[in-house]
Parts: sequence; structure tokens; C-alpha cells
Amino acid sequence: MNLLRNYRIEKRSDIGVPAQVLSALVALAVALLVTAILVTVAGGDWKDAFVSLYGGAFGDKGAILESLVRSTPLILTGLAAAIAFRGKIWNIGAEGQFFAGAIGSYWAYLTFEGLPTVLLWMLIFVAGCITGGLFGLLAGVLKAYFNVDEIITTVMTNYIVTYMLALILSGPWKEPGSVYRHTPQVPDYIRLPILASGSRLNLGFLLALLAALLFYYIINKTPLGFEIRALGSNPVASKFKGISVSRTVIMTLLISGAVAGLSGAIELFGSQYRIRMDLSTGYGFTGIIVALLGGLNPLAIIPAGIFFGGLINGSIRMQIITKVPTALISAVQAIILLFLLASQAITRYRIRRIRDVE
Amino acid sequence: MLNEFFKAAIIINILAATIRIATPLLLAALGELVTEKAGILNLGVEGTMLMGAFIGFLVANKTGSQGIGLLAAILAGGVIGMLMAFMSSTLKVDQVVTGMGINLLGSGVSLFWYRSAYPNFSLSDAALPTITVMEKVKIPFLSDIPYLGPILFSQRMLTYIAFLAVPVVWFFLYHTKFGLLIRGLGENPRAIDMKGVNVTRLQYLATIFGGMMAALGGTFVTLGSTIRFFPEITAGRGWLAIVIVIAGNWQPGRIMVATLLFALLDAFQLQLQGIGVQIPYQILLALPYIFAIIAMMGGRLRSVAPRRLGVPYQRE
Repeated sequence: MNLLRNYRIEKRSDIGVPAQVLSALVALAVALLVTAILVTVAGGDWKDAFVSLYGGAFGDKGAILESLVRSTPLILTGLAAAIAFRGKIWNIGAEGQFFAGAIGSYWAYLTFEGLPTVLLWMLIFVAGCITGGLFGLLAGVLKAYFNVDEIITTVMTNYIVTYMLALILSGPWKEPGSVYRHTPQVPDYIRLPILASGSRLNLGFLLALLAALLFYYIINKTPLGFEIRALGSNPVASKFKGISVSRTVIMTLLISGAVAGLSGAIELFGSQYRIRMDLSTGYGFTGIIVALLGGLNPLAIIPAGIFFGGLINGSIRMQIITKVPTALISAVQAIILLFLLASQAITRYRIRRIRDVE
Repeated sequence: MLNEFFKAAIIINILAATIRIATPLLLAALGELVTEKAGILNLGVEGTMLMGAFIGFLVANKTGSQGIGLLAAILAGGVIGMLMAFMSSTLKVDQVVTGMGINLLGSGVSLFWYRSAYPNFSLSDAALPTITVMEKVKIPFLSDIPYLGPILFSQRMLTYIAFLAVPVVWFFLYHTKFGLLIRGLGENPRAIDMKGVNVTRLQYLATIFGGMMAALGGTFVTLGSTIRFFPEITAGRGWLAIVIVIAGNWQPGRIMVATLLFALLDAFQLQLQGIGVQIPYQILLALPYIFAIIAMMGGRLRSVAPRRLGVPYQRE
């Protein structure tokens, strides 16, 4: 006990990038350990599961390219979450905004069909951004002028959009003659170009990378980026610095929603070619974890997104070979998030000998 | 004459459904109220309810006993509450993000566990695992009262417990020393700390209680309502419970009123679906969530939120 009294736990004044990366890696390692336990408890062989998971994700060129396809919506929803979280604005609605964007872009395709392809693409992307952005805007306006917590609005709109989608897919846009609730496939010429033959890797991935660079520029080099960062570090001081908090909140949620909407448009025209209820299997929520794993840094969100894209892709082979259900990945995501939070909290403190302090 | 009779029957139907639908919302909201009064903003209610619904179903299905299923679910809720308390009270991590983590955990683990526990089910409905739903408990004499009897006194046991919990939680929070301390945590944790009371321990208890109540509410969604489990079966009820706590201004009585309003809306749309009104049912299903946003728009008028809600207590 005496020995312990010579030490004390104190808060670190600043956390360097290496410490952040280290804490993320430790969190991943511990999360993998828990995952192994989970697989074992469920009656699976964790070694087989991990080997097939890795093989299916990054084992060969084909697997890697497919993982990049899967990572595209995650990088984009990750960016959508991160830009809001930077300002401590909690957009939990990327899932709904993703679907809204898909619906908007599909509407644009139906409306402007016949225009030159490049122009049509631009209209599709803009429409996706607008419809996704509108839901962000709604949350922003309600927060700024009616004091409605954006968490509530964005979560509720997730459910509302889902029901609206179900309505659209069971009626007006339903593929004629099909028993499934989905739209007809979009024609070949409007699909995003494939980048590597023999794979599904498409222009969407490059657009996601571009969006990350754009995010980096906006957050670090523009007045809006400064305002978002100021809001995140100290909302009270922001007010005194002459920043319009309402305007910043509204702009941030608008952009965040637009990026999530773009993600839906890209997933629709780049990868799945039709809207169905599972166009997103929780990409909006996985995006939150991607954003936090990437430390809300746009450039780190890219590898974080690829990592989760790989997990989702690899889980398919894992299920086929080892019978461990792909749903494992949904559990793993949450486990990673919780350990990430815990390890970040622990990194914030350090143990020092009292003698050294005084 | 017959027409009048049908009208009365429909109204009784709607009101009885309101009381039934209110049950899981009320249980979860009362739990969240106590947690928030202690200064912890637990946004993981949805995930906790879902785990409660799933564990209750799983254990009831495997053991054949609803009672054991119920206990297992409450236990699971307590464990999840403890996790929330550990993250927010001990590690002092951001409570919003932790709550999201718990929601994703509930969603992911229940899905994975369901698929692992029943690997061989086919998609045809008949093959899916089932449980028996809790019986209604008719209260002697009271259930014979015309109109009121079928509405209020022919419900399931959990429903009675949920409504009895309203005065109990009220009495506990406002008329016991323990309740006073809990409320103090949300207003001025330093004062509580200086009295020599263990802030962390109290926050753990309040959050664990909230988790247990949410899980209990979750079990009603499976054990009290339906013979089958399906992923995301709680469908946002946990989030509605959080909305209800705000709309009810952090007061047990008003929380009950807010719960009944949401439940009435839901019962009404169920009845509309039932009699085949020509409105797409998806729009009806979305009504409670639209209503939730509208209900929040009067937010400026309220000021009774615990002042230190969501702010980790740091001893300096």
C-alpha cells in the first residue's frame, strides 16, 4: 500500500497522435479477443473464423477490391458523422439520410432520363445530396430555432424514412411483376464506371476518397471549418467570438446530411443498382464507429472505413466456411466502439510518481 | 342500436390497446427518469430494451418458463446498465457516444445470438422458434365493471406493475432520503460528494435500475405480446421512452400522461389498420415518430431537466 501512495493518477494535458493511434490499436486487439470468446461461446471455432474472415477480406486481390467496394459507403457515412461530431453536433441520422439520398437520386434518374450520361450523373449526385441534406437541415433548424435536440430529430427521421421507403417500394416504384419490395435495376449506361475489370470496384470509391480530401480542406482551411471546430471545443466561447452558433449548427447538419445522402446515391448507382429495404445494412450506424475509430480525422477515416468494409466482406466467406453468422460483425462493431471509448479514456490519464511531481 | 354497440366496442378496444401499448414505454421511461435524475444521460435504452426482449424470448423458449425468461432479461438489463455506469461514471467517457455504443451492442449481439441459437430455421414462418405469450390477469370484481373493467383490469401482470411503478418511483424520488440524494446528483453532485456520499456508487445504482426497467419493458415486447422474435423488434420504443421523459418534464405523473398519449396514437393507428381504412399503413406506423418530433418543439418552455445531466462529475 505504501508503494501505491507514491503514485498518483493525473490527467494528461494533451494527447499526441501516437498515443491516439496506440489506444485505437489496443482497443482493436482487445475487441478481437472478446470476439474470439463470443465465437467460441456461440459454438464456433475462433481460429477458423478469423482465418476465413481475413481471407475473405484481404486474402487476395479480388477480396481486397471487393472490400474497397464495401468500404465506399462506410467512408462516406463516416465522413458525414465526423463533420458533425467535430462540432459536438450529434447527427445519428446518417442511416435515414442515406436512404433519403438514394430515393432522391433515383427520382432524379427517373425524371431526367435521356440526358447525356455525365450530366445525368451530376443531377443524380446533386439530388442525393439535396434529399439527404434536407433531413440534416430539418434537424439543424429544429435545434437552432426550436431547441429540439438533434439526436432526437435524427433518430426519429431514421424510422420515418424507413417507413416512407417501405411505402414507396410496395407501391409506385416497385418492380412490376416482382414479389420482392425493390425497384427495377437501373440500366447499364447510368451505372458508375468499373475501375478494375473483373471486380465491382467503381468510381464511387474514388469519389469517397475525394470527399475525404474535401472534408480535410473544409475543416482545416475554411471559416466554416474553424467555426465547427470552435463549436466542438467550446460552444460558449464561440458565441463571444462572434460566431453565429445557429448558422454553424444548421450548415454543419446540412453538409453532414448531404454527404450521407451522397453515400446512398453512390451505393445505388455504383454497387447495387436498385433500391431495396437492405440497400444499407446499417451503414449509417457503422459510419459513426468508422468516424470515431478514425479519430474524426478525414484521412484516418479512409483506412478505418476500409477495415470495416473488409470485416463486412470477409464475414460472408466466414459464414460459408465456418457457419459463424455474418451478424457477428454487427456485434464486433459495437464491441470495438466501446473498447475504443474506454481506451481513449484511459489514455487521457497517466500514472506519475509523486516525488517526480513535487 | 347495433351501431352504438359497435362504436362502444371499438372505443373499448382502442383504450385497452392504449394501456397495453403503454406498458413497455412506461417501464423504460420510469427507469430512464431515475437514471437521468442521477445525472447520467443513458441513450442506450433502445439497445437495452432490445436485449431484454431477446434474452426474455431466448430463455423462455429454451427453458419453457416465462418467469425464468423475465428474470434473465432483468439481469441482462442490469449488466448493460452497469456497463453504461462504468463508462460514464468511472471512466467519464462521453455519454452520448457510449449510449450509441450500447444501442449497437444490443442490436448486434441480439442478432448474432439469435442466428447462432437457431441456426437451422428456414424463412418459412412456421419453422421459426416460438414462445407462449403471458396470460391476461383479470382482477376479480374490478374487471367486471362495465367499460373500465375490460380497459384497465383485464391486462397482463407487467402492465399492472408498470402503472404501479409510477407512484412508487414518485414516492421514492420525492419522499425518501435516497431519492433526495439521487436527485441531488443531477443538480449538484459536488454537494452530495461533500456530504461524504459515494457519488459513483449512487450513479451505478440509478443506471443499473434504469437498465433493468428498460429490459423489463423489452420483455413485454416479446413475452407480453408476440410468440416470435425478429431482429430490431423493439422498433424505436427505447428512443420514444427518452422522448417521453423529456415531454413529461422529468416528472413521473406527466411521464405517465405522455406515455398514454403516445400509446393512444399507436392504438388508434392499429385500429385504423384493423378496420381497413384506405391510408397506407406505413404512414400510420410513422406517426408516433413524427409526433415525437412535434412534441419536442415546445422545448423552450421547459427548464426542469437535471442541471448536470450528461456531465461527468469530476472531483477537482
